Amino acid sequence: MIAQHATASMDAEVLVVGSGAGGATTATVLAEAGFDVLVVEEGAWVEQGAVVPFSLDQMDQQYRAGGVTVALGMPSIAYTEGRCAGGGTEVNSGLYWRPPGELLERWHRDFRIADFDPDELLAIADEVETVINVRTVPGNHSEPSDVLRRGAAALGWRHGEIPRWMTYPHADQPDKGERQSMTRTYLPRAVAAGARLVVGCRVDRLEMSRGTASAAHTTLADGTSGTIRFRHVFVCGGAIQSPALLQRSGVHGHIGRTLAVHPTVKLAARFADALNVPDDVPVHQVKEFAPHLSFGGSASNPGLVALSLLDQWSTFRRAITDWQRMSVYYAAITSEGTGRVRSFPGMADPVVTYRLTHRDRELLRSGLARLTLLMLEAGAEEVFPSFQGAPAVKTRRDVATMQRAFGVNRATVMTVHLCSTVPMGEVEGRCGADSFGKVVGCHNVYVNDASLLPTAPGVNPQASVMAFAIRNARRFAAGGSRG
Amino acid sequence: MRQVPALPVVGSFAERLLADDLPDLTAERRHEAVTFIAHRVDTLPSFTRFGVLLIGTSFRILMAVPGGWALSGIVMRLPLPFVGEYPRLVRSLGFAYVWEHWPSTSPTGAAAGAS
Repeated sequence: MIAQHATASMDAEVLVVGSGAGGATTATVLAEAGFDVLVVEEGAWVEQGAVVPFSLDQMDQQYRAGGVTVALGMPSIAYTEGRCAGGGTEVNSGLYWRPPGELLERWHRDFRIADFDPDELLAIADEVETVINVRTVPGNHSEPSDVLRRGAAALGWRHGEIPRWMTYPHADQPDKGERQSMTRTYLPRAVAAGARLVVGCRVDRLEMSRGTASAAHTTLADGTSGTIRFRHVFVCGGAIQSPALLQRSGVHGHIGRTLAVHPTVKLAARFADALNVPDDVPVHQVKEFAPHLSFGGSASNPGLVALSLLDQWSTFRRAITDWQRMSVYYAAITSEGTGRVRSFPGMADPVVTYRLTHRDRELLRSGLARLTLLMLEAGAEEVFPSFQGAPAVKTRRDVATMQRAFGVNRATVMTVHLCSTVPMGEVEGRCGADSFGKVVGCHNVYVNDASLLPTAPGVNPQASVMAFAIRNARRFAAGGSRG
Repeated sequence: MRQVPALPVVGSFAERLLADDLPDLTAERRHEAVTFIAHRVDTLPSFTRFGVLLIGTSFRILMAVPGGWALSGIVMRLPLPFVGEYPRLVRSLGFAYVWEHWPSTSPTGAAAGAS
């Protein structure tokens, strides 16, 4: 383990709060540029392979609140956040999507991001892809992944394999890939360049005076308090924790008001033969209706199959004995709704809310119907949509019945992509940070994570997060964004 | 500030809900699942935990009156904001625990090979 344990009193030239995709890349760029960098991570260092992916044990050790976090609303939307060294990169699917060029142009235009060159960002993406070894699966795909390919091909829908940040030590074992997460790539590089990484250290608030932060007040793993003094701070705790920390520190402005997510609804599909892969996710996605609507596969261990059936347990329960012949799939939308992150005095955690629009609700309805059709075309014997009152679907004719019965308030709605709570740019009243992540109204406080993305990208945001974080850190290192 | 432990609040509700949903789950396994549920509620973010314990206390009071479980069933089916989330949370945690630990469990909760 390259991480150290925190002490009551520490100091650094640059403090980086959080060690995920934003924090690890920021720390690497700044340490390699010669800055004295301290990275603090609230969670623990967990070696890859120490926990089974997508298990309850993993959720205990590597997720915030054991994976039980929710954005309140009608319906409430369950989400997850990584809380460990490496953050979300340790626990997510590892699927990699470059930010689409037209999206970058739109962000540039609508949020007036200064000195922004999409080609520069894509060149950074090239570098990132080399470091984290973005590649497709060698050999055959898993059967749950092939279901998506097969169904889309039968319908003539656009689909493809999404590359992952993985190495495959044994070419004949594509299911034994090793995730090239931050603990394997950028964090060791940052430490090699002189950065210090401490784990088990929560930053409660920043000490602010006239827009300048001078210290971070912390709680260590043993419950004792600590202080870290610094000259500059990069807040990289993700789209929920970053705005929450700023709010607890008395920084308000346009912070935490525009949470954007990709809401998903799901189903379980049963096939004639065993196909379940308990500890991995499909690599194919269906993009025929992108960016508004996409289909993919979820983790499907028996516990998660049971979860997908529980909304209509009285009639779906019979299917659980066939979990080895079942897999779970989702329909994800690019939402036009927004959410908020609010911190209140005396409460350790923020309150998160999210409101779906009428269009979002209809898109989720049609998305679930199309996903059901996709499953039938792929050969599913029976499909079990996850909402209360859902009928089991066996034929195309049943799909229309299911679509009519669907009510999003009775569905299990989830998301894993959270962003846009401190949007970057130069539009007053709309942006919480400037074009390089410096928080509006602050002299030495920066955000450098998914919070900065102006809107939900419609694809897995981690590639966008890493590219922007490196761009902004380089600007800082060159002196261009230091106050 | 010291937390109120979740087990006394959610325990009896979770026991009853799992007993209804999975009538053949052994008492030992049910108890293990309920302990897990309470542990997860203990680690919820502060505001969510407060809301869960508030709703849990309401159900606990309701269950204490004669016919309380039947009344609870009616309340669970009402389209009340957030109230329906409580049994869904308890079920989710319980089912995830049961099938992750004992994947051969039958739809009624019976252990593999149990008659």
